[in-house]
Amino acid sequence: MATNQQLPSKEQTLFRHVVQSYESKQYKKGIKSADQILKKHPNHGETQAMKALIMSSQNKSEEAFELCKVALKNAMKSQVCWHVYGLLYRGQRNYEEALKAYRFALRLDPDSSQIQRDLAMLQVQMRDYAGYVQTRRTILQARPSSRQNWTALAIGLQLSGDLEGAEDVLHRFEETLREPPNRKDIEHAEAVLYQNTIIAERGDYERALEHVNSVLKAALDKTAVMEMQAEYLLKLDRKEDAVKAYTKLLKRNAERRDYYDGLEKASSLDRSKSEDHEKLGQLYHGWAEQSQRSDAPRRIPLDFKSGGAFREHADKYLRRMFKKGVPSTFANMKQLYADQAKKETICELVESYLSDGGAEKHESETNGPTNGSNPSKNSKMDPATTWQLSVNYFLAQHYDYHLSRNLSKARKYIDRAIELNPSKTDYTYHMTRARIHKHAGNVVEASKAMNEAREMDLKDRYINTKCAKYQLRNHQNTDAVNTMGLFTRKEAVGGPLGDLVDMQCVWFITEDGESYLRQNDLALALKRFKTVYDIFVAWEEDQFDFHSFSLRKGMIRTYVDMIRWEDRLREHPFFTRAALSAIRIYCLLFDRPALVEGGAKPNGSSAENAAEKKKAAKKAKKDAEKAEAEKKLALAKKANPKAADEEETAKKEDKDPMGLELLKSTGEKPLEEAMKYLTPLLELSPNNIEGQIAGFEVFIRRRKYLPALKCLLATRRLAPDHPQAHYQSLRFRRALEEDKTPLDPHVSAVIQENFISQIADPEKSLETLNEEFLFAHWHSARHVQAGVRLLELLHPELEPAKGKATNHLQQTVGEKGTTIEDAVEGLRVLRELEGSREGRVEYLRIARERWPEASVLRDL
Amino acid sequence: MDIRVLHPSDIPHVQQTNITNLPENYFCKYYLYHALSWPQLSYVAVDVSRPKKTPYDAPKIVGYVLAKMEEDPADGVQHGHITSLSVMRTHRRLGLAEKLMRQSQRAMFETYGAVYVSLHVRVSNVAARSLYEDTLGFKNNGTEEKYYADGEDAFSMRKELDYLREEALDDESDEEGGTIGQDEGAEVGSAGKAGDGADGEKKKERKRKVKVGRGLGVGELVERNESAPQTNGTS
Repeated sequence: MATNQQLPSKEQTLFRHVVQSYESKQYKKGIKSADQILKKHPNHGETQAMKALIMSSQNKSEEAFELCKVALKNAMKSQVCWHVYGLLYRGQRNYEEALKAYRFALRLDPDSSQIQRDLAMLQVQMRDYAGYVQTRRTILQARPSSRQNWTALAIGLQLSGDLEGAEDVLHRFEETLREPPNRKDIEHAEAVLYQNTIIAERGDYERALEHVNSVLKAALDKTAVMEMQAEYLLKLDRKEDAVKAYTKLLKRNAERRDYYDGLEKASSLDRSKSEDHEKLGQLYHGWAEQSQRSDAPRRIPLDFKSGGAFREHADKYLRRMFKKGVPSTFANMKQLYADQAKKETICELVESYLSDGGAEKHESETNGPTNGSNPSKNSKMDPATTWQLSVNYFLAQHYDYHLSRNLSKARKYIDRAIELNPSKTDYTYHMTRARIHKHAGNVVEASKAMNEAREMDLKDRYINTKCAKYQLRNHQNTDAVNTMGLFTRKEAVGGPLGDLVDMQCVWFITEDGESYLRQNDLALALKRFKTVYDIFVAWEEDQFDFHSFSLRKGMIRTYVDMIRWEDRLREHPFFTRAALSAIRIYCLLFDRPALVEGGAKPNGSSAENAAEKKKAAKKAKKDAEKAEAEKKLALAKKANPKAADEEETAKKEDKDPMGLELLKSTGEKPLEEAMKYLTPLLELSPNNIEGQIAGFEVFIRRRKYLPALKCLLATRRLAPDHPQAHYQSLRFRRALEEDKTPLDPHVSAVIQENFISQIADPEKSLETLNEEFLFAHWHSARHVQAGVRLLELLHPELEPAKGKATNHLQQTVGEKGTTIEDAVEGLRVLRELEGSREGRVEYLRIARERWPEASVLRDL
Repeated sequence: MDIRVLHPSDIPHVQQTNITNLPENYFCKYYLYHALSWPQLSYVAVDVSRPKKTPYDAPKIVGYVLAKMEEDPADGVQHGHITSLSVMRTHRRLGLAEKLMRQSQRAMFETYGAVYVSLHVRVSNVAARSLYEDTLGFKNNGTEEKYYADGEDAFSMRKELDYLREEALDDESDEEGGTIGQDEGAEVGSAGKAGDGADGEKKKERKRKVKVGRGLGVGELVERNESAPQTNGTS
């Protein structure tokens, strides 16, 4: 930081203090010194700027901005002021403005390496690789002696796609080294491997192999070099050597699936060829013999074996697991259930074990199971009990699984397992009992049962977590937060929920939001999904400090990995799940703007609404009281002299605990808000059909016909028979027919070519098409639901159509393939039709007859 | 199950596994700090048998070990430290915790020349202590009073890694030999228990990280800014 020429020497010293205080995060001290200067020189811009910077570190960003603007007025030509201005913007993630400010600062002080480095960080954060490369070149020219500066330029070149340039830069740095670096120099060792990955990325495996072989002995990251070597050998088709390489790797880690895949390929074995199966079997048998402890070589053959060989192997595998009492056996097997024959074989085998002692056959490897949280007190189970318990437990899970579901059998087996379980703290079987209730649609009993399981071992967070999840499924949001609160930090601001948000507990926040959505509390639901959205923003922001940190640490391969992961961050299912729900809410708000105002609940009759409102008011009052209490608590904390706490609290206090503000402010422009969630979805997860369906819903409301069509075509490509493919096609045609504004001729042409002439079937009326669709898919609940929604769309005012629609939906309940979830969705459609109450009562009557336990089939 | 080194992209699910099982939780950034500082040391166990729901399913992490090197060892001896270890309750008794630990320990030794590895464990967590002492050969090195935010004491444990030197000398011999016949120590399975696992950071320090994680990063005027990633959480 440049010192200031205009200040007298005493103030100059003070100014240096300000800078030092800032750097050492002694903010109060810094502010004090700054104020001392400003007392005498109230318009000293650079002091104001530094004060602003410190204020922003104290989370007073608004005041900081104000002050910095004043500073700029006073010292337009100061690079310090512009630099600070940029840092303030960067703190607010307004990268564009930050960039501009840095550029101004650099114009005033072109040689400032500090500003250049900050600029570079911003550029790589913004993925402006061309800019980054340019900046890093300038930095390198100024300080070519530092390895970091070479590495940074190479990274920039690599990420911008210039692999040759990247390799060249790394090579040139190596040439500047006078003597070879120390063998234990981790930074150097890592740089060598980084260079190797670039050679490999260029596709030059021959040279990559040669290079890796030359460093193999000295390498510090042994696993990595061995993996690289094996991979290149395989790519170069040097199979014999590749076999050796993978064999070495497997000796180090016998549970790594990639190594087995590599070994198979290197051995020229192909799972899809039955003639290879015997050799494959031998290969895995060999590895299984190597260690009693490894699972992979025993489990993998089940994937490719079939018929008698499968039965024999599965028999051995299952017996071994049951004897050990491994509770994850079912989880480990269920993937095989996609194959009908394997599913049946497994079921037959395990059922036969019920009357089979089993235990005697492999006496030698008996290994008493443990249970409960205290193995030292744990009396070892006798082998026969272990066996019976494992078998019954497996069968319970088998009959609970959706591909082999028979819940009454599942219940029988889990009850037996619970009887056999000698432990008072091992809740495993009780937990499955709760799960079976859930699959019967009985979320009330499921929640109760899971709570019983929780009570068996109060020190265990896993079962505590499960219990909270089940409470959310049963609309017990407050209970769930309290349950979670048994393990959250007591001192967290905002109670358990505050801690969960702080700790980025995405699953809970999402489940909580979905729970509120099911209860039609759009405000709270939206608030939760927004929180998930914000967590992803934080995760994206998290990379920022590593742009400089990783250069210092020298772990470049993992840094590049991180950059690439961050590029696709929102591809994560955690994001998709929250985004889909948020988009659904925003579409609903667009269709029924009244929902924004009154916070009224969608689809409910007036009588029900009154009761709901009363309940909601009561809840709001309670929540307000709670918020008030929390506020008091927060204030009490503020009284705590610790400055850090003060800032913390001020920042975290939730001013909109019910989400009403959020609902109101975003509800005014629902489709714009929806786009925030939708854009990453379509960009990063284009093959997720739910995303495409949601995309259509947003675009059609915005009358963006081409993007809507693009989504529609994607949906039809991904799943031509999907009910929404039909529904949205007809909706698209109807929207076109209804829109009287003439379309741009280019748009028209695209629609003509891709939709009208291919999909629309304009010869037939929409009614006819829909009738045909309903007729063709009469037995599928989801298709009928889609057809019914269209009926409503085509004849919104006609009572006969509603009656017909209601009948259609009632009929789906009895269809063989209809699941509870389908029936719940049907109920939702029925409510949205706003047909007669009798129609809904009848629907529920039929549904409850079929699923007598299903509490999810309730009319809100 | 697949046991492999942790990638940055695994972090959301590692974080979820952690907060599902253990009371000591961390931000994404703290996991990143481990993954970007000592990328060789942290491992995950991935359930590869889950049927895929979408083309974008992230690997389902059922166990992890989050590990680091001590940056300024008080005793001047290079050593590793286990920040956190846990295995899902549903995946007990597969020996996952042990397998994860063994991979991590070897990497500490090979890459950083660690002489020993240390960890903290709640004195009340019998299952985890049994894993460390009986199965993995850790030695109890004394008690650290009130180590945890809730006031509980921790045992400070350590394990010498010289056995790896012998293994390395024995280069081509069967490295798994040592584990055969140790099948008895299967308490590893219960490593998903609450409070199980080494947890690492005291709450006090984590709070400091809250600030850094959320801090606006305006501190970059200084090149040697030791911002979040370098904060050394463990005492």
